[in-house]
Amino acid sequence: MRRPSKTTRRTTATATAALALVLGATACGGTTGPASGGELSGQTVTVAGVWTGSEQENFKKVLDAFTEKTGARTVFVPSGDNVSTFVGSKIEGGNAPDVVMVPQVGVLQQFAKEGWLQPLSDQAATTAGSTLAPVWKNYGTVDGTYYGLYFKAAHKSTVWYAPEAFTQAGVSEPKSYADMLKAGRTLADSGRPAFAIAGEDGWTLTDWFENIYLSQAGPEKYDQLAQHTLKWTDDSVVKALTTLGELFKDKQLVAGGAEAALGTDFPSSVAQVFGPEPKAGMVYEGDFVGGVATGQFGKKLGEDAKFFPFPAVDGGKAPVVSGGDAAVVLKDGKNSKAGMKLLEFLADAEAAEVWAGAGGFLSPNNEVDLASYSDDTTRSTADSLITAGNSIRFDMSDQAPAAFGGTKGAGEWKLLQDFLRDPSDPQGTAAKLEAEAVKAYGN
Amino acid sequence: MSGHSTIERPPTRHAAAVRPVPAPSAPGPRRRNRMSRLLSNSVVQGVLILVALVWITPLAGLLLSSMRSERDNASDGWWTALTDPSQLSLDNYSALLKDSGIAAAFGNTILISVPTTALVVAIAALAGYAFAWLEFPGRDGIFLVVVGLLVVPVQIGLLPVAKLFGAVGLFGTITGVVLFHVAYGLPFAIFLLRNYFAGIPREMLEAARMDGGSEWRIFSRLVLPLGRPAIASLAIFQFLWVWNDMLVALLFADSESQPLTVALQSQMRQFGSNISVLAPGAFLSLVVPLVVFFAFQRHFVQGVMAGSVK
Amino acid sequence: MADALTARAATNPRRLAQRKKRRLAVVFVLPALLLLGALVVYPVLFSLGRSFFDAGGDRFVGAGNYAAIIHDPATLKAIRNSTIWVVVAPLLLTGLGLMLAVLTEKVRWATAFKLVLFLPMAVSFLAAGIIFRLAYEQDPDRGVLNAAVVGVHDAFHDAAAYPTARAREDHGLTGGAGGPYSTEETVRPGRSVSLGFVGVAPDAMPAGAKAAAAAAPDTDGIGGVVYLDFAPGGAGTPGKVDPGEKGLPGMVVEAARDGRVAATATTADDGSFHITGLADGEYTVRLPAANFAAPYQGVNWLSPALVTPAIIAAYLWVWTGFAMVLIGAGLAAIPRDALEAARMDGATEGQIFRKITVPLLAPVLTVVFVTLVINVMKVFDLVYIIAPGPVQEEANVLATRMWLVSFGGGNDQGLGSALSVVLLLLVVPAMLFNIQRFRRSGA
Repeated sequence: MRRPSKTTRRTTATATAALALVLGATACGGTTGPASGGELSGQTVTVAGVWTGSEQENFKKVLDAFTEKTGARTVFVPSGDNVSTFVGSKIEGGNAPDVVMVPQVGVLQQFAKEGWLQPLSDQAATTAGSTLAPVWKNYGTVDGTYYGLYFKAAHKSTVWYAPEAFTQAGVSEPKSYADMLKAGRTLADSGRPAFAIAGEDGWTLTDWFENIYLSQAGPEKYDQLAQHTLKWTDDSVVKALTTLGELFKDKQLVAGGAEAALGTDFPSSVAQVFGPEPKAGMVYEGDFVGGVATGQFGKKLGEDAKFFPFPAVDGGKAPVVSGGDAAVVLKDGKNSKAGMKLLEFLADAEAAEVWAGAGGFLSPNNEVDLASYSDDTTRSTADSLITAGNSIRFDMSDQAPAAFGGTKGAGEWKLLQDFLRDPSDPQGTAAKLEAEAVKAYGN
Repeated sequence: MSGHSTIERPPTRHAAAVRPVPAPSAPGPRRRNRMSRLLSNSVVQGVLILVALVWITPLAGLLLSSMRSERDNASDGWWTALTDPSQLSLDNYSALLKDSGIAAAFGNTILISVPTTALVVAIAALAGYAFAWLEFPGRDGIFLVVVGLLVVPVQIGLLPVAKLFGAVGLFGTITGVVLFHVAYGLPFAIFLLRNYFAGIPREMLEAARMDGGSEWRIFSRLVLPLGRPAIASLAIFQFLWVWNDMLVALLFADSESQPLTVALQSQMRQFGSNISVLAPGAFLSLVVPLVVFFAFQRHFVQGVMAGSVK
Repeated sequence: MADALTARAATNPRRLAQRKKRRLAVVFVLPALLLLGALVVYPVLFSLGRSFFDAGGDRFVGAGNYAAIIHDPATLKAIRNSTIWVVVAPLLLTGLGLMLAVLTEKVRWATAFKLVLFLPMAVSFLAAGIIFRLAYEQDPDRGVLNAAVVGVHDAFHDAAAYPTARAREDHGLTGGAGGPYSTEETVRPGRSVSLGFVGVAPDAMPAGAKAAAAAAPDTDGIGGVVYLDFAPGGAGTPGKVDPGEKGLPGMVVEAARDGRVAATATTADDGSFHITGLADGEYTVRLPAANFAAPYQGVNWLSPALVTPAIIAAYLWVWTGFAMVLIGAGLAAIPRDALEAARMDGATEGQIFRKITVPLLAPVLTVVFVTLVINVMKVFDLVYIIAPGPVQEEANVLATRMWLVSFGGGNDQGLGSALSVVLLLLVVPAMLFNIQRFRRSGA
């Protein structure tokens, strides 16, 4: 259950970003055995990343495959939740890892601006160019230089539901936002409120907003808003907030009402749908909901826990909000050449297929054989991600400065929580969002 | 003794000495007096019992919650365990101890609080003795500054010391956390020990010096043993202070060196679904202070009393 | 050790001893002074200087950060909260401590009582925070405080049978969620009505509920059925009793004319009801709100308005024992003969308390009060832990605000430094008080 700690990542990744001057711990993860032969035999590649638990184990399988292929020894160093502080301290301490798996686009940009990163080698860039939709390249590029290779993706446009609730209410997977609300009301009629909303975790609310906005206003405006070249007071924002408010203010749609939702954290919201005492029929969040439903509540994906893609709003295209972990090579690594070899390996479908088989993984790589995913649900998520191709957009709040898009009790999180409590004034909320954005972006 | 004295002190030892058993007076008013006293006394008893219950309940809630399964905690309150004790088990605790992160954090808490306590006591004892009994230029002025530093909030040190530690490679290490704690523990420790040492009769020290004892000998053989009560109080207070700290470690420790408080704090974000981790974790973090509390009650109370001016 | 020196200075042993002693003194105080200088004094100066520069530290902004404190609404909120804390908490604590100290003097088990109240002093604020988050849990099934509140409330009010039910819209009934509902059109005796409701989950239906069937009306009455207008699977026509739909037993139905209730009936297991004994005329059939009253949910302790008082209450739990024990020690030191003499002179206990006890206790009370003010000013952990994300901002005090500004995403070290300087300035009076007290006590 690694995903829910996404919050941790978000808040702390930049929490001490300002202290990226510090020197740190001597963390050491597992090592994969040395292999003989191979072009890189005798060399060691150090990889740092936030992954723990099963994610770390599965990633090590990928590293093992690299070792097998090239003969390079690999060491995985867990960075803790705060990659930015971790890497900063390692660089200052003179023992920088060669490769870092960066979980957020904002952190990638920060690294690039600090001048810590080495551009992708031609081979890596070429492979990536043919296997990844250009949008992934854009998110890996800072000021015209391609640094970050996206290896692991998240799909944040999945609405999860309990099939038995749908059967009981006699509704089917909706195809549009309006249908979804209608299905929600029918669910409520059947005695099971529609949505479990994790209002206590501000990031789930920003994800709601982003899906609606991406579909309603389109990718161009989405990008502008993410860069804050478009003001939050723009009509499109007010419209999206109004659309969201329609859901928020409807007591039939929000399980327990807004106050209860504000006291519900993400795992509890999943429990409200898939737990032993269900209180709601649907919960919207990323692909990782499936992991919680299976891991914690013993549900079987595709049978008693299903999802449908976040439906299109007002005739727009169905949104696919995404995110991912990018691999970057540090200039200061002792063995950055071999590190780049690892990136070239990661760009290849075969590397992704290793993890895809182990589960809990989506690859943005369109050459990855869908058959290599271990279950149908993940397969269809992966399919939807690849099909969306270039219309994918990254989580907007992840792209924003943390003060705006990633801080507990402040910025966008806080304002959307206030909006959930009282959705009567979208215009006012938009104005407040703009004020906070101005402060955080400094423009 | 006035007739309408409804609030009466029970004869404490002290009071009894001053006021012997009151001479018998007219039976009527006396009985009324006793009645009202009895009544008021039982009201007082009742109030205090109620207050004590209010104080104990939250702690009991934590203990019981910590022994209930995640599922039980999610569906109903800890008080249901009072009528259905079968809910209780130690499973959460064994799961917690198996979690290497929590176990490591518990170890870190010890690695942070024990050296800090030892260092604070040692450094402050040396300095306290010097401030009390050794002459050096600017002694009293410097000591006043130390007294002034007593109330400096740790917050002001966070950012500058983080930068400082970053520059010398101490950020994120246990050593860094310890040094910060020691520095912010010193003003009070020096203040306390200096005042205590200053109370040692001058003649005793003079006599020892006459006997040709070196200052070091005097310090280690005379002053330290005499100062034991103050040192004990200080050590207990300092130990608890650091054991219970979250703020300092939140900044200065990283995921490898974080103590229990910080490890638990990172679980707070998902409070509702983490009770079966948080409650036993919190209780685990309480056990040591509670043991210290019951084992050293007197020193403990004195230590906390004295230390609270910090 | 320094033999040469010893030999040379042997001519003047007194001076030598003096110098040696002085050197020893320096050795004794040096470790302390080094640590204090580097980690306490230097940071104070650094923060002071840093507070005049902008977020990144490159630009001198003069008093700009201090001006920002006054202009930033979130920081102002923190200042307001800190003021509430400093005014309320020490006063309450000193008062409560005094009261309990006086009361405990009257019981034999005073020591045990003091022990119980002092116990929380051993508990970390983190643990206290967790303890109170548990107690303040909003769900009355989980939070002990709301369980008590709801228990008291429900002792006086009966719970409704169908809290979630609401009328099927546009099918003859008017009224908002929670009732009461009444027929849109009036009904004459001899007619029957069917009243459809939705929103009752299958497992929330009374066990004895049977398939809905309307009762035939008597000539002097109104008959009909109250039923769940939702068949499993969503089949059926809204507004009609379809096969598979159940009656709602135990529902109170009224016939009202001219705003007065003429007669009432209760529905049977199949939802049917007979209202009898009606004179001819136009009646409105009503279902009173009591059928639908939502269960009382208790108080939302951690709502924006109550979160600060709630955290202060947790603080009282920790510190009352301290105030009580210290004041108790002061009380014990009051000479009994003074009190006795006053009693002999016919003073009432109230007079004695006000004119003798309190003045004699004044020094102790002052120390307790000042100590508490200092500690309250620095309160951090409790606020940080108890306040859930959505109300973090409403609960912030200076210390938490300073933390969030400096490290929690904003990373504005200039403003953060300014806040920490303000925090320091606020404790300066206490610092002076300490120094003065120390000097008076005769250094």
